[in-house]
Amino acid sequence: MRKLAFFIPFALFIGLSVFLFSGLFSNPMERESSVLDQPLPAFALPDLQQPEKIWTPDSVKGKPFLLNVWGTWCVTCNAELAYLTELREQGVMIVGLYYQQPTDAAFGEVFDLAALQQEVALKLEQQGNPYQWNILDKDRTLIFDLGVTGAPETFLIDAQGVIRLHHIGDINPQVWQQKLAAAYQNMQE
Amino acid sequence: MIAEYGQLALTFALCISLALAIVPLYGSFKGHQTALQLGNPLSYALFLLTAFSFWALSYAFWVNDFTVVYVATNSNSLLPWYYRLTAVWGGHEGSMLLWLLTLSGWIAAVAMFSRSLPLQFQGRILGVMGLVAVGFYAFVLFMSNPFERSLPYFPVDGRDLNPLLQDFGMIIHPPMLYMGYVGFSVSFAFAIAALMGGKFDSTWARWARPWTLAAWLFLTLGIMLGSWWAYNELGWGGWWFWDPVENASFMPWLVGTALIHSLAVTEKRGTFKSWTVLLAIAAFSLSLLGAFLVRSGVLVSVHSFAADPSRGLYLLAFLLVVVGGSLLLYALRMNSVRSQARYELFSREVLLWGNNIFLLTATLVVLLGTLFPLVHKELGLGSISIGEPFFNQLFYYLVIPFALLLGLGPWVRWKQQQVQPLLKPMSLIAIATLILALGTLAALQSIQANLALLGLLLGAWVGSSAIFELLQRLQQFGSVKQGLTKLNASHFGMTLAHIGFAVLVIGVAMTKTYSVETQVRMKAGEQVELAGYQFRLVEVYPLNGPNYKGEAAELDVSYKGDYVTHLHAEKRFYTVQRSVMTEAAVHARLSRDLYVALGESLNDDSWALSLYVKPFVRWIWLGGLLMALGGLIALCDKRYRRRSAEPKATSEPKETADA
Repeated sequence: MRKLAFFIPFALFIGLSVFLFSGLFSNPMERESSVLDQPLPAFALPDLQQPEKIWTPDSVKGKPFLLNVWGTWCVTCNAELAYLTELREQGVMIVGLYYQQPTDAAFGEVFDLAALQQEVALKLEQQGNPYQWNILDKDRTLIFDLGVTGAPETFLIDAQGVIRLHHIGDINPQVWQQKLAAAYQNMQE
Repeated sequence: MIAEYGQLALTFALCISLALAIVPLYGSFKGHQTALQLGNPLSYALFLLTAFSFWALSYAFWVNDFTVVYVATNSNSLLPWYYRLTAVWGGHEGSMLLWLLTLSGWIAAVAMFSRSLPLQFQGRILGVMGLVAVGFYAFVLFMSNPFERSLPYFPVDGRDLNPLLQDFGMIIHPPMLYMGYVGFSVSFAFAIAALMGGKFDSTWARWARPWTLAAWLFLTLGIMLGSWWAYNELGWGGWWFWDPVENASFMPWLVGTALIHSLAVTEKRGTFKSWTVLLAIAAFSLSLLGAFLVRSGVLVSVHSFAADPSRGLYLLAFLLVVVGGSLLLYALRMNSVRSQARYELFSREVLLWGNNIFLLTATLVVLLGTLFPLVHKELGLGSISIGEPFFNQLFYYLVIPFALLLGLGPWVRWKQQQVQPLLKPMSLIAIATLILALGTLAALQSIQANLALLGLLLGAWVGSSAIFELLQRLQQFGSVKQGLTKLNASHFGMTLAHIGFAVLVIGVAMTKTYSVETQVRMKAGEQVELAGYQFRLVEVYPLNGPNYKGEAAELDVSYKGDYVTHLHAEKRFYTVQRSVMTEAAVHARLSRDLYVALGESLNDDSWALSLYVKPFVRWIWLGGLLMALGGLIALCDKRYRRRSAEPKATSEPKETADA
């Protein structure tokens, strides 16, 4: 027994190496989303351009769609607008979830809905409008529940309102082809 | 052409390292004297070639040779000359070259200063280091060559050094850290050489001690500088982040500290033999693991170099050969070794055993915290992250018994200690501890049962124990004055390092408890109060540096109406890398730091500022410095510089023995 004890460090090291080896082939930045295969979390949020209209999980579902988290302040989001618009023209349904950055009253910032509406309308006019409509998440509650780490992020949601895919980062032709297109086509059938 | 010469020198160096790995080892097993004697010239040649190669890369930076890819990605013609030179180790390839330079430096130093060792033993040490060197030289030449050219199409100007690294702390932090990491390869080589020989008297431990101390002291300085740099450069007043790469440097330090103490036991008492060998292997293995974690991209960290799986694969294979091989050798050789010395339950041996247990537990905590997210994910259990609370809480639990033992340890004799004679000094120390801790808090008008009280108690306990013990030891020589000349240096070193630890503990506890901070919006002329200090923003004006633009804020600080100091905080925008950096303004005193970071410009001429008052934060780095200084003094001990090889290990411990 005593002899075997001296092999313990060696055995532990070999065990550790196995994990280090497999760690080499996975991306540490990659996170599994905790909302995968879950129905959309409960929410009741206003439409960005028509605030009197309130969107809920029940009113958005019915058809598979992409839920795209974005903001005019986000450079990468602006860059993907053009390609997303192209997707819309191909018949993909895309809903925007507008990521409003926190306003800090201590720094004299106030939330101005009219100005925001104007800014968004102008931006979409210039860059292309991929969105059927935009949901305004002023206090970032839905964004929090969805586990969004930043913008842009996109969720693929099926006809039953269940989240099937969570993509972090922008959507470009390559990402669409490799990661999203097949899943989206499957849902259509 | 210079860059090509540099690469050529590096290629020669690889060949030399191959020879160094083979020839002396062959000589040691065949008893071939000439082969053994070749070890020294080979070591010197290795160092000279590497130094030349390093100079060649530095020269390319100096003359802005942007045809060299590495220079183009890490420098810029507008970069001041001193940062151009330190940019040599600002990226992966160059920092590996620095690694080689330190490795060959240590090898040459071993060759030079261990001529008094038996030739066979010295040959084995150099051979083992040669083996390690082959792995690293091949890695640099084949997988991360810093001399690669981008001819014929080369950029007109470089992409500039990462602005985070344009700081004085960064100039010396990596070299110190590498001296520490690589320095443990010497202790490692001593242990492996001893394993090869199969002779485990305490001589190898005596020879290994100064080298281990030297490596440890560099690592201490390196970690301390890194912490100091983060504090100044990252702009949010933190000094330790439990970042995976910080952890990677902290683990060899913890094991190295354990090793220093365990070597003392092995040398003085001839016990803990297999344990000490294992620690020597572990300290260097953890250094290698650190290199792997930083350079393979398996973990997310601010320090990570660009991830490249083939590099990671190579380093992992290297790790398997070096660490796996030495642990296997350890398992095969060690099971025949028996310790002969006996000791009682209350003895210095047992207390140092306790020291090792706590340091190793701490290492395990850090290792688990660092690698658990990786393991968790690879097991398919999903992503998790382990943050500060985990480490902090476990370290609180560990440091209490550790510090209590540390206060007791130096008083206790080898072999056996009677309880009775210690009662008086220990109660004196306990009283002094209470007075110091409560007195300090009373002076701050805040006596509460909080972390600060705990830290002060532990720190005062360790500190006053160290000082009383030194005084008592000095008196044994007749008088304190006589003792000062007669007591050996390593005892002074130990005392100083222990005081350093006490200072560090106090610093951490006080800073954690009493730091205050606030984020404010200020216009020129406005004033904000924090912890009794009034910060007045005088003005903010534009700034034009060589490779950056930005703004500078001038503040006046007063305390209860009396002017204290003027602060100058900057916010820089580095034009080439397009990144924003804060240069925090710090006014440092032993009792507190005032720290101001300039934030965003807000729409109406006002600015966002972060203000911090951090009591005792200097003590953290002061403690680190004292520890390193203690190591340096211990290193000067005459015993380590005896010309002749030690005749035989004495099994009787000297009474002046230190740990």
